[in-house]
Amino acid sequence: MYVAATITQKPEGATTYQAHRSTETIEARELSGSQILCEALMREGVELIYGYPGGAIMPFYDALTSYPVLHHVLVRHEQAAAHAADGYARATGKVGVCVATSGPGATNLVTGLATAYMDSTPIVAITGQVARPFIGRDAFQETDILGVTQPITKHNFLVQRVEDLADIVHEAFKLARGGRPGPVVIDVPKDVQILKTQYRDSVSISSIERFRATRAPHPSAEAIARATELIKGAQRPLIMSGHGVILANAYAELHAFAEKTNIPVITTLLGLSAFPETHPLALGMPGMHGPAHVNRAIGEADLIIGVGLRFDDRVTGKASEFAPHARFIHIDIDPSEMHKVKRATVPIVSDAKEGLARLIEAVEEGDNSTWINEVRRWEAENSERSESIQRNQEYPDPTSILEAIRAETKDEAIIVTDVGQHQMWTARHYTWTRPNSHITSGGLGTMGFALPAAMGVKMGIPDATVWVVAGDGGIQMNIQELATLKQEGITVKVAIMNNGYLGMVRQWQHFFHNGNYSETPITGPDYIKLADAYGLTGMRVTKREDVEAAVLKAMNTEGTVLIDFVIESEANVYPMVAPGSAITNMIEESPNHE
Amino acid sequence: MSDQTQQGGASQKSGTISAPPRPPVERPGQADAPAGTDQTHTIVVLAYDRHGALDRIIGVLRRRRAKLQGFAIGRNEFQGMARITIVMNDSEVAVEQLVEQLRKIVDVQHVEKLTSEQTVARELALIKVNSNDSQYSTEIIELAHQFGAHVVDVTQQTLTLEVTGSEEKVEKFVDSLKSFGIREVARTGRVAMIRGVE
Repeated sequence: MYVAATITQKPEGATTYQAHRSTETIEARELSGSQILCEALMREGVELIYGYPGGAIMPFYDALTSYPVLHHVLVRHEQAAAHAADGYARATGKVGVCVATSGPGATNLVTGLATAYMDSTPIVAITGQVARPFIGRDAFQETDILGVTQPITKHNFLVQRVEDLADIVHEAFKLARGGRPGPVVIDVPKDVQILKTQYRDSVSISSIERFRATRAPHPSAEAIARATELIKGAQRPLIMSGHGVILANAYAELHAFAEKTNIPVITTLLGLSAFPETHPLALGMPGMHGPAHVNRAIGEADLIIGVGLRFDDRVTGKASEFAPHARFIHIDIDPSEMHKVKRATVPIVSDAKEGLARLIEAVEEGDNSTWINEVRRWEAENSERSESIQRNQEYPDPTSILEAIRAETKDEAIIVTDVGQHQMWTARHYTWTRPNSHITSGGLGTMGFALPAAMGVKMGIPDATVWVVAGDGGIQMNIQELATLKQEGITVKVAIMNNGYLGMVRQWQHFFHNGNYSETPITGPDYIKLADAYGLTGMRVTKREDVEAAVLKAMNTEGTVLIDFVIESEANVYPMVAPGSAITNMIEESPNHE
Repeated sequence: MSDQTQQGGASQKSGTISAPPRPPVERPGQADAPAGTDQTHTIVVLAYDRHGALDRIIGVLRRRRAKLQGFAIGRNEFQGMARITIVMNDSEVAVEQLVEQLRKIVDVQHVEKLTSEQTVARELALIKVNSNDSQYSTEIIELAHQFGAHVVDVTQQTLTLEVTGSEEKVEKFVDSLKSFGIREVARTGRVAMIRGVE
């Protein structure tokens, strides 16, 4: 609760925000654009802002010190501000906020915005802009950030009048979280931040109502009836659940629907942890690095019930050969996802939660034990094969690292992964049981995502144990955020799977470029010294037998800890589907490869 | 639009400079549209005339690789709104996709795909022709009358004509003026509307 001491015309009795809100008659106060920004952010329930000051955003930073309820986290690079806001949003379901100055500050947000856009996470980015008279004149630190971010945001605003500012902020939040969530940019010219106007603690509803895009559609009764018919007639049905299930908080519905219909559940990369992998109906992840039995099941399926996913090419492989015998029921909140990749026999435009709830009511109890047994038989065949392969026992291997983290955190950690081989190993071999415990950049595949995103996750859910799993390439991309972690006293534990390569690219070079390891060998710093230099703790693990002890020690050490796990240098992620190939056509591990 | 507007059979005959034919656009993943199912579609977009609205609409068309043939923008009956007529040559599936993508733009209030049977479509053209011979002038004016065209400007060397009608009619008119020597053609592109009461 803030005390409105700095506000020039304090309304009677409105000493706290809550009290102020409940006041029936809303009096106008004269506030500057910067103060209005802060007021509006508070009204939206914002507690955390990740940002970096600079010339064109200085009036906002000046006002910020009078609003201690808005906790600002000074990152070391604006990209990290966007990822941290993204991580916060993914973990909490609330809108993440990041702030940057004009020009380079704003352009540094771009990768983070694109990441959030591809994975449909709600963030609001506030950027400073040069003063209105300078816009369009190539002023110092001027960038047309509206033009730059247009294709990677749900919407963006240039605030042309200070009178519009409050409404725009509220509209931006509504847009970011409404419907299919996504990032929204508000570009605020410096003079607009300084100018004063009458501010009322009210939201002009009419201006919000015009944004039709935020309305959540409802499934039609006809679509539900047709879907029910298809489900009833299916012999080899599959549920494919994606990020939409997590965004809609539809875990219970997914669970109930799968159990009632007895249909096995596949979870996409961003859908991982939406359905407990210990459940008898859980199959695993599909696509490029999905286990063979999952892709084979898709190849044989006669019905795919897609819930909150967009049939990304890493999931489908060659789209025309994806689930060739299947009809599709596609539940998604975004109508433009219907028929985009696969023509849906029954498109259901709806929130995953509502769509599933309606289906649960309509469907009859089913029994697919014959089909499930068949898939389980394929799974058993594959694991037998896999177990027969001789492996190097000396190095810490990804599975042993993940198992140790799972054991030592009693399966209660939130795991934030970066992008590459470690990401696929973690997706595959960490047994996901708790909803929303897996956070990763899926759609954009942004290296450097994990460390700053974990910062947002930890600050969003302070009680959670947060582990970063990253490669030695990606961790070096936003390594500067160790300083932010230290300054803020944020505790995340970092497991680096260090193989001295940009491993996933090296793997592609191995399979598709005749082993020509062009520019993939990579060195890194001494992570023990690096951690020490930042005032944190570092460790190195080079033997399999030391993995568990190291993880335990990290858990018992205060503050952020980096563990440099030196893993086998040329291990591959198996199985693998070549890009553009049918997913049933997998490159499997063979003894010759090792 | 630059390289794209020149594409498409009709406009190449109209005495303007024709661009080389474009290779077919590869769009993996754009549902299962069989090859050769392209046809001309007209989409009408009603959008709030706000900062960046036009950018966003054109941005979606570019990013989603619309095979654009025409894009006409103007006012409609509501203040603060713009009516945009988009013409493209593509498969049904791809056009449906684009309609949904356009509907997601916050500034867009309404998107409608018109079918040729229900549509009345017109365009306007200004054509500047050589007329330094007075006999030419008479012939040109007679021809203009046949097409319902008006003379909007006369100089010693040129006559400027205004014609409205279907694209085919405009096409024919421009063709029939070719022998006099066309100096300049400005066409608005198609604007369209559904017939009767929807």
